Amino acid sequence: MPEAKPVHTPIALELSEDARARIAELRALSEKVEAGDKEARKELRRLVRASSPEVIGRASDIGRRAGRVLAYTAAGGDPLTEEALYAKLDAMRMEIAGENPTPLEVLLTERVVSLWMFTALLEVLMSAQYQKRLSNGAERSSPSSRSSRSSPSYIIQQSRILDSATRRYLAAIRELARVRKLQAGAPPVQVNTQVNVLAG
Amino acid sequence: MAWETRERGGRYYTRSRRSLEDGRILREYVGTGPFAEIVAQSDRTGRELAEAERQQERDRHGQELERLEALVAPVLELDHAAEVLARAELLAAGYHRHKGEWRRARGEASAHPNSA
Repeated sequence: MPEAKPVHTPIALELSEDARARIAELRALSEKVEAGDKEARKELRRLVRASSPEVIGRASDIGRRAGRVLAYTAAGGDPLTEEALYAKLDAMRMEIAGENPTPLEVLLTERVVSLWMFTALLEVLMSAQYQKRLSNGAERSSPSSRSSRSSPSYIIQQSRILDSATRRYLAAIRELARVRKLQAGAPPVQVNTQVNVLAG
Repeated sequence: MAWETRERGGRYYTRSRRSLEDGRILREYVGTGPFAEIVAQSDRTGRELAEAERQQERDRHGQELERLEALVAPVLELDHAAEVLARAELLAAGYHRHKGEWRRARGEASAHPNSA
């Protein structure tokens, strides 16, 4: 796995302490609201209005940069693959976010895209491990082949990470769809349609 | 791999290996004297080399996993932040969760929190 290099200029790939504090505050207030505290809902509205757009913007930015770093790593030093992956990420962003996305939709899109990139990277790493095992399979007993082969426990560990990443990726897609549906004001109830066929 | 002491005296070097034919463990009697000492020393060196290789492999995998964790840390932070922000926005917009499903609370204004 190649070292992750900073893309263009050195960049911060984590949220600021201030943004983290606001997220923690939003989380604490959300928990109070869900526990039935009506005052907390008013406070949450105020806080969402006041700080959410900025935090959403920062988190989206980090997601975009993190996606590029993952793409660079997955490309394994091949410039063509690297550019193709950047283009793929941009195309996914446009396709998923759609026209005039809200800031929250942009954030949830970045989440989906960066998690997709992470699962793709893990699949690349795992297939490289399997490939190595297959090519060394014929010379199982030679010490050099043993040292270049990954242990089963390492492969199991990697597949657990892939499993968790895939679950997060699918959950991110579901969340985006849910937010879109709710923000569009679609009724969250099941609609039963009845078709009456009149005779004659 | 062991030295065995027999009733009639003398130490014999023995070693075990897995049969290539049926996978059974076979005990091989190497013998005694200087030749057995040399074989025992060679086996010990082989075991030490294999252990060093395993340790090297563990270190390499540990480093790779650390690098992977460092790479994914921003994605996980984004994942967490997105989850909190989406939940906060929906709650602020008047929704609540009922058995895992989001519903609009009765009597709540339908305005988006950012539009007020």
